[in-house]
Amino acid sequence: MNRERLSLKVNGEEHFVETYPMERLLDVLREKLRLTGTKEGCGEGECGACSVLIDGKLVNSCLVPVAQVRGAEIITIEGLASEELLHPVQIAFLECGGAQCGMCTPGMIVATACLLKRHPHPTEEQIREGLNGNLCRCTGYMRIFQAVSMAAATESV
Amino acid sequence: MRSDPAEYTFLSPASLAEALDLLRAKPGNWLPVAGGTEVMVQYSAGKLASRNLLSLWGLPELSEIAELEDSFRIGGGCTFAQLREHEAVQRFFPMLATAAAWTGSIANQNRATLAGNIVNASPAADSPPALLAYEAELELISAAGTRRLPYDEFHLGYKKTALRPEELVLAVHLPKHYESWFTYTRKVGSREAQAISKICIAGAGKLKSGSVESLHIGIGAVAPTPLRLRHVESLLLGKPLTKKQIAKSKLVLQDEIAPIEDIRSSVQYRRQVAENLLEDLLLTFALSGEDPLTSSVTALDSWNDLDLLTAAEKILPCCSSVRWADRMANARPIANLDQMLEVADKTWLELSEQDWNEAFRSHPRIGERKAAPVTSQSAAWSRNEQSGAAAASEEIQQALKAGNEAYETRFGRTYIVCATGRSAEEMLLDLHRRLRNTDRTELQEVVEQQRQITRLRLRKWLGL
Repeated sequence: MNRERLSLKVNGEEHFVETYPMERLLDVLREKLRLTGTKEGCGEGECGACSVLIDGKLVNSCLVPVAQVRGAEIITIEGLASEELLHPVQIAFLECGGAQCGMCTPGMIVATACLLKRHPHPTEEQIREGLNGNLCRCTGYMRIFQAVSMAAATESV
Repeated sequence: MRSDPAEYTFLSPASLAEALDLLRAKPGNWLPVAGGTEVMVQYSAGKLASRNLLSLWGLPELSEIAELEDSFRIGGGCTFAQLREHEAVQRFFPMLATAAAWTGSIANQNRATLAGNIVNASPAADSPPALLAYEAELELISAAGTRRLPYDEFHLGYKKTALRPEELVLAVHLPKHYESWFTYTRKVGSREAQAISKICIAGAGKLKSGSVESLHIGIGAVAPTPLRLRHVESLLLGKPLTKKQIAKSKLVLQDEIAPIEDIRSSVQYRRQVAENLLEDLLLTFALSGEDPLTSSVTALDSWNDLDLLTAAEKILPCCSSVRWADRMANARPIANLDQMLEVADKTWLELSEQDWNEAFRSHPRIGERKAAPVTSQSAAWSRNEQSGAAAASEEIQQALKAGNEAYETRFGRTYIVCATGRSAEEMLLDLHRRLRNTDRTELQEVVEQQRQITRLRLRKWLGL
């Protein structure tokens, strides 16, 4: 099959890319748009390192053929901070030391931002469920959970 | 090896009709893909057999949930996120909502669809046992029209289904009448989130005069397909759920299932867990019995048989002191109602004041529904017991409210009275009288009231 010209709306900006429809959204973001904040972990929807928001919903971008996001609104980790100002969730992760090697961090932060939209004051159970698809092999999760609680306490919703 | 996207044809039809036409033109040529949570995993691993994909994602004809007269029609393209959050699904088909919440992570639930889960035909999938227990019917569609097929007849063998190459799963139909049935579902996996089931069970049933009137049980990961336990069901049908029957059903179960050994579990483990889950399902079912005459013997019988923790949990709504419930569970076996009441009284009176207070706190104020009772059963009983207060005039209700407040200021706890059969006026008189009590006398009174409440609840619970 030939490449197609696709229009994608990423972080509020419209991009045109030449791509095969079966290209994974993850690869298009990283290789065509150079948005390398989104990471590839397992490549099979288990680890959440490639989490992005599609129309406000948390999705693993490794499992999405790019043809399926035509017309959709995509937010990646690069789209959370505004200009110089970090997103409250990013600040909380920095403050609490919610990252070590950093591989899972963009996915964790995107998943957290999504969780706090749904539950501005999440219970511990809601935090654990909201992040249950994001694996971290360094931190042991406790500092990540602390960061989420801190973000929930500071973010003005 | 990663797959090369250049080698794949990928079409996104704009409508269901267009998709069906494509399927009719070249049956078997196309692999339908919705949220991609299965297909894209194989693709990434270079293991996807088909090179021609047909995207169904976002087709509105597939993603509706509609209420019909006797059933709900759930579009095959509904995602698990949609299912778990849908009010009617939660209310009418709680086991399906639960299974949806068990499936993968939030990110996967946002993409994975019900039809995808069905046609992928994994014997370990989470939604099939619930669909079997609810006797789901599939609505299959091709360019030639639709046909209906009981879900139970859909899986023909390992990853083999009755779906024709030109067909799609349009919708799943679930009858509404299950709203009033007993249901039970449980999954055993290595982790609460994400993990694929080692065993997953779902059951829906009805008791009549203590005997099994209806029972459907679906179970996953114990056979090449999701399995309806027809033999276990027919053994139990029309009979009371005695210990003996439950023991027999476990033997029948072992003949009915054929689990395999894989990376998640051994055969031995799966057989044992399947048996444990069936037993737990049936014991819970027996205890759900409302009919007083026959189920009572079984209810006490079953309770005597539970493990310590579960037994304590089950009796807790009768008197919400954890220590009381523990001691009751420890006092088993209890032979009959008389002995039960005697042990209950003695245990209650021997508790500390702290334990008593714990039990008192679980009661809502008389005339008020708002409270934080320990269990939903205890809340339901309170409503029933206090129906006299609920029926009172506005004036009496106000007086009760003021009385309650005075009582709380005076004694530091909620006013409790064995309200069953008492009118609001009687309770108001009692409240005013007790306001004049000394601390010591009032403590004795409230302990006695709770003792009476517990006795009534024990009778109700056991159906005697």
